[in-house]
Amino acid sequence: MEVMFGALQDQIQKPWDRLAARARWMRRAKLAAMYGFLIAVSAPVLLPYFWMVTVAFSSKTGTVDTLILWRAMAILLPFVFGCWIWSTIGTTARQMFFGFAAITAVAVAAFVILVLPDLHLGNFIFIGERNFGDIVRETRTGSKKGEVSGGIDFPSVWLAFANSLYLAGGQTIIVAVIASLAGYYLSRFEFAGRAAMLRSLLVLHAFPVLTLIVPLFLILNFVGLLDQLLGVMLVLVGFELPFAIFIMKGFFDAVPWEIEMSALTDGASRRQTFVRVVLPQVTNGLIAISVFSFIRGWEEYIFVFTFLIDNVNWTMSLYMFFVRDDILGIDFGLVSAVGVFYLAPSLVLYLVAQKYLAQMTIGGVKG
Amino acid sequence: MARIEFDRIRKTWGDVVAVDALTLTIDDGEFVSLLGPSGCGKSTTLLMLAGIYAPTEGNLRFDGQVVNDVEARDRNVGIVFQSYALYPHMSVRENILFPLRFKKVAESEARRRVEEVAKLVHVDELMGRRPGQLSGGQQQRVALARALVKEPQLLLLDEPLSNLDATLRMTMRAEIKALQAKLGVTTILVTHDQVEATTMADRIVCMRAGRIEQVGTPDDLYLRPTSLFVAGFIGAPPINLLPGEAADGKLVINGFALTCEGSVAGDVTLGIRPESVYFADAGIRATVDQIEPMGRETLYRVNCPLGSITVLEGGSTFHRRIGDVAMLRFDLGDTLVFDRRTERLVKGAGAQLSD
Repeated sequence: MEVMFGALQDQIQKPWDRLAARARWMRRAKLAAMYGFLIAVSAPVLLPYFWMVTVAFSSKTGTVDTLILWRAMAILLPFVFGCWIWSTIGTTARQMFFGFAAITAVAVAAFVILVLPDLHLGNFIFIGERNFGDIVRETRTGSKKGEVSGGIDFPSVWLAFANSLYLAGGQTIIVAVIASLAGYYLSRFEFAGRAAMLRSLLVLHAFPVLTLIVPLFLILNFVGLLDQLLGVMLVLVGFELPFAIFIMKGFFDAVPWEIEMSALTDGASRRQTFVRVVLPQVTNGLIAISVFSFIRGWEEYIFVFTFLIDNVNWTMSLYMFFVRDDILGIDFGLVSAVGVFYLAPSLVLYLVAQKYLAQMTIGGVKG
Repeated sequence: MARIEFDRIRKTWGDVVAVDALTLTIDDGEFVSLLGPSGCGKSTTLLMLAGIYAPTEGNLRFDGQVVNDVEARDRNVGIVFQSYALYPHMSVRENILFPLRFKKVAESEARRRVEEVAKLVHVDELMGRRPGQLSGGQQQRVALARALVKEPQLLLLDEPLSNLDATLRMTMRAEIKALQAKLGVTTILVTHDQVEATTMADRIVCMRAGRIEQVGTPDDLYLRPTSLFVAGFIGAPPINLLPGEAADGKLVINGFALTCEGSVAGDVTLGIRPESVYFADAGIRATVDQIEPMGRETLYRVNCPLGSITVLEGGSTFHRRIGDVAMLRFDLGDTLVFDRRTERLVKGAGAQLSD
C-alpha cells in the first residue's frame, strides 16, 4: 500500500514540476516581451530628447561634431539593454538591486571617461547675454559685431521666461477659480439648461481651436488686447475652461452631500462650507487641472505667435522660435540649449505632480 | 433642549409628495424614533428639522417659535449621518472642534469641551488620527462627539447604526440610549430597522408614504398596531397575516372556518404573531416544512389548512423534524383582525378555533 502510494505520488509529482517550470518560464518570457515592447515604443519619443540634451551640453560653435552623440548612444543603449535583460533574469529583490547597481556603475564609469570631458555650458550663453547672436556669429564667421545685418533683436531670455510664467500662471489661476466654482454649481444645483450645458461642455472641445484664429485676432484688436499677454491669456482660458469644468464637476460629484449638510448644521455658511469642507476634498482635481492648464499655457505657440508682436511680449516659445530662425544654421548647440532651458520647468512640474495627474481619469469618468 | 412641534407639515418636490399632513409634538428630552421603509419621508422630515430643507406648507416650531425659515447654522442642531460624514481632511480633534469654530467660544473653553465630549464617547485616545484611519464604530463615535460638542437643543440620528456589524450595533444602541438619558437632549432617530427603533426610543412614529401611520410606545406598536401596515412592519419574525372572509360570527380562511368575535364582516385579514401560535395536543393539523433553530428559540414554518404560517417556540430543544405532523392552537386574545379594505384594525375583534 505504502509503496503503491509512493509510486503514484511520483507519477503525479513529475508533471506538476514540469507544469510549474513551464509556467515560470512563460511568465519571464511574457515579462521580457512586455518590457521589450515598451522600450521599443518609447525609444522614438525619448531619443530626440536625449540627443537634444547631449547636443545642448556638448556641441561647440562652428563645429559639426556628431562623434560625442554616438559615444553617448554607445553608453545609453547597452545600459538600457542590460537593464532589460537583467530584469528578466533576476528573481529576488536583492539580485535585482545588485544587478542594476552593477550595470549603472559601469554606465556611469563609461560616461565619466567617454562623455564628461566634452561637456561644457558654453551653449547657455543666452542666459546672461542678450547679444549672443552677434557673439556666436563672430566666432563662426569672424565677422565683427554689428557687421551682419538681419540679426534679430532678442529680449533677455529672463523676460521671455517671466512672460511665459505670467501667461501660464495667470491662465492657470483663472481656470482653477472659474472651473472649481462652475464645477461645484453644475454638480450640486438644479437649474434650467443644466443638462444642455453639460453636453455642450464636451461638444465645445470637439472644435479645432485654430479655426477661430482670424475672428479672435479681430476681437482682440477691437477690445485693444492685441499684442498684450492678457489677451492671449483670456483666449487660452476660454479654450481650457470647458474641459476643466467637466473634470472638476466629476470630482465634486464624488463628494458626499452629507458632508456639506453636516457642515451647515455645524454652523458654517454655504461659502464657509465650500471653502473649508468641500474644496479640500477636491484638491487632487484642482492640482490636476492646474498642472494641465499651466503646461498648456507654457507650451502655447500658435496664439502667442499670432497675437503678440513686440519682442517685450515674447514668451519662451516665441523666443525659441526666433533663436531657431536666427542661428540654427550657425549653432545648433545653442538652439538645443534654449530647448533644454524651455523644457526644464514643465518637466519638473510634471514630475512633482504626476501622482495627482494619474487620478484625473478617476475623477473624470465619474462625470 | 427643545420641544418640537410639527404643525401640518407638507413637503413636495414638484409633483412628488415626500411628507404630508405631518402633525406631531415631541417633548423636551424625549427620544423619538421615526420608523418606516425607505422612501416613507422620514429622512426628509429629519432634514427639515436640521434646516437643510424648508417645509412647503405648515409650521415647524422649536419651543413654540416657528423656525421654518431659520437657517441650518442658526438652529443649533446636532446630526449624525449613516455615512458619519466626517471631514476626511481633518483630524478627529479638528472634526469635533469644527462646530465650535463658528460659535463665540474661547479657544481654551473649546479645547476643554472637545476633550470632555471625546471622553464621553470614548474617542479621547484617537484625537490625532484622520477619519480614514478609524474603524466604522470609531467614526460613529466621533460623529456623535461632533454632534454633541455644540450642546445641541436637538440631536438627530439618521440610521446611525446601519453601517456597523451586529455586535457593535448592540453596544452602540445601549450606549446612545444611556448617553441620551444622561444628557437629556431631545433626540430623533430615523431608522428603517424596527429593532433599533423599539430598543432605543421612548416613542415610535411609524411612517408610510409621507404620512404618520401610528405613534406610540414600542409596546403599543407591537401589541396594539392600529393598521395592517404597522402590524406587518413591526416584529421579527414578522406577524402571520392570513386573508379571509367574515360573516355571521365565522371567519373563513382558505375554506377553514374559525369562530369570530366582535363586529366583523367582509374581507378581513387575521394577524397572529409567531410566538402566539403554539403546539398542543389538539387543534389545527399542521405539517412542519422548515426548521430554523436560533438557539434561544426555534422558528418553524408549517403548512396547515389556514395556509403557510410561522411558529416561534421557546427553547432550543427542537424535537420536531421536517415532515412531522403536529397540532397547533392560538388564543382569542392574541389575534388581531384588520379590515382589508381600510387596512385598519377592527377594535375588539378576534378569532379562535371552533371547538
